[in-house]
Amino acid sequence: MHGITSGTALWYASRATGVVSLVLLSAVMIIGILVNRQGRLPGLPRFAVLGLHRNLSLLAVAFVGLHVVTAVADSFVSISLAAVVIPFASSYKPLWLGLGAVSLDLMAAVIVTSLLRRHVGRRAWRAVHWLAYASWPVAVLHSIGSSTDLHRGLLLDLTIACIAAVAGALAWRVARASAALPRARRVPELMADPRPMARAGDR
Amino acid sequence: MSHQQQYAGPRGAAGAAARERGKARLRAVTISAAAASLIGAGAVAVALPAASSSAAASTSQAASGSGSSGGSGASKSGSSSSGLSSPASAPASSSGSGQVTSGGS
Repeated sequence: MHGITSGTALWYASRATGVVSLVLLSAVMIIGILVNRQGRLPGLPRFAVLGLHRNLSLLAVAFVGLHVVTAVADSFVSISLAAVVIPFASSYKPLWLGLGAVSLDLMAAVIVTSLLRRHVGRRAWRAVHWLAYASWPVAVLHSIGSSTDLHRGLLLDLTIACIAAVAGALAWRVARASAALPRARRVPELMADPRPMARAGDR
Repeated sequence: MSHQQQYAGPRGAAGAAARERGKARLRAVTISAAAASLIGAGAVAVALPAASSSAAASTSQAASGSGSSGGSGASKSGSSSSGLSSPASAPASSSGSGQVTSGGS
């Protein structure tokens, strides 16, 4: 049925989990971009939005893990375990799989520092967490380059939608940040006129 | 001051209730996302052969000597440079049925 046999199941599983991982990572990126300290999503309180960001991140990592495991276990292409974590060490499509390894390493860094957040410190954790923003475009390049499934049809539309959604969220965030008062001018402005502080407190 | 103390109780209760509602919504959204991801993965896996059947067919054609675009298909077809037998065997076994059904699906 549809070509999925016991011999090709891992192949299809790897490709399918890769597609779902791309969508989930895009969703995590969008929530992470849109939601700042005061940000909310409709119908969810702030702590729940942060929880959703965390839960979707863990879900995405689970699917990325499945994607990697099935790709390595698949016997049609030889992808070594070393190539999973060492960028550009694969003999098969070294550039595109290397980008996947880079993205995976960045995700691993974010996860490890998140688990050790209390020991690492908030500033260091935040610095490493910014790597997640670099992880997504690298993962997108890996997806487009390593799989021709995304080059046509609905999966191409899905990929374009993911990229457009993240770009739109980023543009919204940048526009909102540029419209806000620059940080260096906040204190003098607030000291000169207490009313903005009161208005900010009302929000 | 006394008003604040007077309303602290109801506010605390309302806050706790809102927090519980938020937790419930978060749980529901998370479960829905996980379920949708699993269903989506299954749907994509089922839909993929139709998308890759032409590539698999081209691989089998390449194996027979007529095709030249063996690398265009799924990641497998262009993977092994050691020989055509290995990549052609797996997709070709699926392309037989996939090629027939892909036109209508």
